Amino acid sequence: MQTNADKPELTLNPGVKSRPQYPPVSLNPAAQCQVFIARKNTTGDKAGALLKPLMDEAEKSEKSLNIIPLVVGEDGDVISMSQLPQTISSLPLASSFYLAGTEAFIWDVAKLICEAGFIMEQVHLLPPVNNERRLFCTHCYAITEPVTHSPAVCSGCGRHLLVRDHFSKIHRAYVGVQIDAEDPADLPEESEELC
Amino acid sequence: MSKSMIPVRVASVRDVAPKIREFRFTAVDQALPAFSAGSHVMVEMQGAEKTYRNAYSLMSDPADISSYGIAVRLQDESRGGSVFMHTQVQEGDVLNIAPPANLFAPHWAAKKHILIAGGVGITPFMSYLPEMKRRNADFELHYLYRSAQTGAYRQQLSEALGEKYFSYDSDHGQQCIVHQLLAQLSPGAHVYICGPESLIEAVKTEAATLGIPAGIIHYEEFAAPKPGKAFTVSLASSGQQIAVDGESSMLEALEEAGVEVANMCRGGVCGQCVTGVKEGIPEHRDDFLSAAEKASGQCVMPCVSRAVTDSLTLDL
Repeated sequence: MQTNADKPELTLNPGVKSRPQYPPVSLNPAAQCQVFIARKNTTGDKAGALLKPLMDEAEKSEKSLNIIPLVVGEDGDVISMSQLPQTISSLPLASSFYLAGTEAFIWDVAKLICEAGFIMEQVHLLPPVNNERRLFCTHCYAITEPVTHSPAVCSGCGRHLLVRDHFSKIHRAYVGVQIDAEDPADLPEESEELC
Repeated sequence: MSKSMIPVRVASVRDVAPKIREFRFTAVDQALPAFSAGSHVMVEMQGAEKTYRNAYSLMSDPADISSYGIAVRLQDESRGGSVFMHTQVQEGDVLNIAPPANLFAPHWAAKKHILIAGGVGITPFMSYLPEMKRRNADFELHYLYRSAQTGAYRQQLSEALGEKYFSYDSDHGQQCIVHQLLAQLSPGAHVYICGPESLIEAVKTEAATLGIPAGIIHYEEFAAPKPGKAFTVSLASSGQQIAVDGESSMLEALEEAGVEVANMCRGGVCGQCVTGVKEGIPEHRDDFLSAAEKASGQCVMPCVSRAVTDSLTLDL
């Protein structure tokens, strides 16, 4: 594997265009309804911590904003993913959404919001809380998640997949292609941790 | 540009409002191209002293391409085009048009379409309506006009649309309360406005106040390029000097001098005619370039923009 020292200095942006960027999120003070959606914490409350400054700001606002915090999980004390569409569809057009959690989660919720008729301009994605990716196999179309290293074994067909940086908004997943298609013995010795 | 123009015959001319005249075009030697709801065509008018080129929305049913319909309002401050259409063009005449282009297509994924027309701004919606009916789309038409001047087709629209039709005749004191109209919208609604700049601005401002995202507000304004002070354009490649008088746009002056610049809307929205600037300071009047691009002074939209300096050197 190449180390950084071996690499020539890149002058062009080496990133894949389709890979989502997560610029800093600020509160949209014009929205009447401020909706904060976080995945219930599994690794400390990272998602909640990301949303807190925005929620604090919304609460301090002089306008009487309608603030709606939603924590998504499987337990009885929180809202489940399947209940989310109904809740979202009851919200007014002048809503702004702030989403935090894993990358697959925030894009899943973004899709539900858009299906309810809102547009992406209203949806603010906080940086994903970890490096977990959802992986879409371009050979058998199976989804494997979470994936943190490349290559990864496909949960559907068992192929060794190179995890690409190309992100599909339809599948809310990164695409994986077989890394050893021509020579099954030619698997990289080391797996690479994704960022 | 001229090689892509399509000759059309004026099949009929009729008045549809005190200041609006409707023209039907049929094919001369080549079939009329298909078009989508919201499309416009650029019509070339050979005046005695100059050639006028104006963009007009197609107002006929996109499913019927045996003819095209446009409606032209006689402008109070006409730069020549609308006066030419009203006084010179007669049945049987042949005009050249550019193939249809669409900068105002409906957002078909919307759950509801709110159409707001001001005066002759009803025209693009005349092509929307049959298509919306075929797709069984949910919509409302809000039609603002002054019956002493505009208000074309209001009888037929009222009959065809029933409770989906709302009319506001300001000559009879009927006002559209934009705030009420927007405040009742639910998620999935998209708003389309065609009309004067003041109407578009009123809707945009009210939407921003209500916290409605700008992305659901769609609009089209074919404002004629406004006059300004005269200046000179220099072409970087040849050094050719072209005078732009106060009444003509930079694009018109370039065309008169035989310089071809790709263009489409001729109203500062589509971005087709964007041209590099080598020297001089442009006076930006378009809705296309970003604030940063305008500030850089390195490009200009010659269809509507002019020059602050006495001369402008273009990368042509």
